[in-house]
Amino acid sequence: MTTTNTKIDKQKVKELHQANRRWLWGSQIGWNYERMMASGYLYAILPELTRLYKDPDDLKTMMATHNQFFNTNPFIGQLIIGMDMAIEEDKGISSKEAVIGLKTGLMGPFAGVGDTIFGVILPTIFGSIGAYMALSGNVFGALLWLAVNIGLLFMRYPLLKLGYVQGAKLVGEFGDKLNMLTNSAILLGVTVVGALIPTVVKANVPFVYRSGKVTLKMQSMLNQIMPSLVPVLLVALVYWLLGKKNVTSTKMIIFVLVLSIVLGAFKILG
Amino acid sequence: MHIAIWQILVLTVLAGWMIIDQLTLVLIGNYPLLVGLVAGIIMGDIKTGLAVGGTLQLMVLGVGTYGGASVPDFMTGAIVGTAFAVASGKGLSFAIGLAVPVGLLMVQLDVLARFTNTYFQHRVDSKIAEGDVPGVSRNILYGSIPWSLSRAIPVFIMLTLGNSVIQIILKDMPKWLTSGLSVAGGVLPVVGIAILLRYLPTKQYVNYLIIGFVLAAYIKVPMLGIALVGLAMAIAYYKNNEKLNEQKLATATNSNSDGVSDDDDDEYED
Repeated sequence: MTTTNTKIDKQKVKELHQANRRWLWGSQIGWNYERMMASGYLYAILPELTRLYKDPDDLKTMMATHNQFFNTNPFIGQLIIGMDMAIEEDKGISSKEAVIGLKTGLMGPFAGVGDTIFGVILPTIFGSIGAYMALSGNVFGALLWLAVNIGLLFMRYPLLKLGYVQGAKLVGEFGDKLNMLTNSAILLGVTVVGALIPTVVKANVPFVYRSGKVTLKMQSMLNQIMPSLVPVLLVALVYWLLGKKNVTSTKMIIFVLVLSIVLGAFKILG
Repeated sequence: MHIAIWQILVLTVLAGWMIIDQLTLVLIGNYPLLVGLVAGIIMGDIKTGLAVGGTLQLMVLGVGTYGGASVPDFMTGAIVGTAFAVASGKGLSFAIGLAVPVGLLMVQLDVLARFTNTYFQHRVDSKIAEGDVPGVSRNILYGSIPWSLSRAIPVFIMLTLGNSVIQIILKDMPKWLTSGLSVAGGVLPVVGIAILLRYLPTKQYVNYLIIGFVLAAYIKVPMLGIALVGLAMAIAYYKNNEKLNEQKLATATNSNSDGVSDDDDDEYED
């Protein structure tokens, strides 16, 4: 472990930013079932390859190498490109196997962390705040979310350079921290989901039981047991069904759509 | 009342840009709420756009395209739903009743776009073999064409045909269906919430789910307040774990691991 801090010159910074820009615009544009983000990775690293490999055959080999199956989270995947660029710059074409190992080894874990934080937790928190306000005609929540998304865009910018400078030690050093951060984010997300059930699910029971002089309002009885009892039961039902084989989110949406229309028509829900 | 030609064109461009934004900048394109807001601005009725987008947002909170899965495209649904809701003056439940089927049908076109891109993937392969570097770049970027058209064309067709079709639907939509759809609008968020609970390690964090629920259902704390409580708990969790990690490191370097390990078990207590 050498602590010689890699001081990078202005030209290199420019090149790193170029790769980053190309990752931002290209990473998912070529997405396809066969190799997913393969061509996106190639697009980002292509200028670097043309600089490094002057021999046309080497260049072809490395272009083909970087056009193989790849899939990760686009918010943090550029860290891998940064590390890759540092290795290839150092070792050239002899690093081919090492680079393939790096890519396939990191894409899965990065996808896991990135999808959880950027694909699930943040949209859940800001989406529910924004939607909640939007339903009462307040635009503030939506604008707050837009501002967060713009902020995230700036956050994505320095990551490729970080990967280049820190190299592989990044994974070990920040691994624990990243894990804790992900868990904290999940904790926050779960709290918000708990609050979503009573606030956004609207499932009242207008049914009134009449027998002689006695009238029983179903909803007020239910409320005495627990507020939002019906939404909780519905969530539990769908949660349970989603655990079954061959049940997809699309099927569940259709199921709930039909169920609501039927129950609504019989005035059981309203 | 109907949709003006310039509105159809601008909404079509919005649909075509939206999917590119999803794949690159991720500012609005992934989120029905923000797409609904923009559609509302174009249609001159921000309130309706927010209401349609917000309702759809709550249905897809947990739904993501991880690993390239196709999910209901409620962003396109938000555009079409908002446009017709404003044009017809029929309100939210009508818009949702339209947006949900549109979102479900759009899944097929998402699959088609991802499939079509395989063609460009193979063109990239042959350009690599030729050593044609600009050709490689170009063919990767061509991927944006199927993506963009997969959203723009259906939106254009629906909005153009819609003006005449909408009159027929409006006349003949039965009462039970409209009231059933408004019930569905309230119940459908159940699916998104259940998917979130499936995706997140809910069992491990179930205590926070209960805290969020109680704050919202019994104490009626607004969503932003609940997110702040969640943030406070997340910070506490992070700090606790940071301390534990440091202790672990300290004991590891002292190389006597006697009796300290039982700290690990009660790290969640509070």
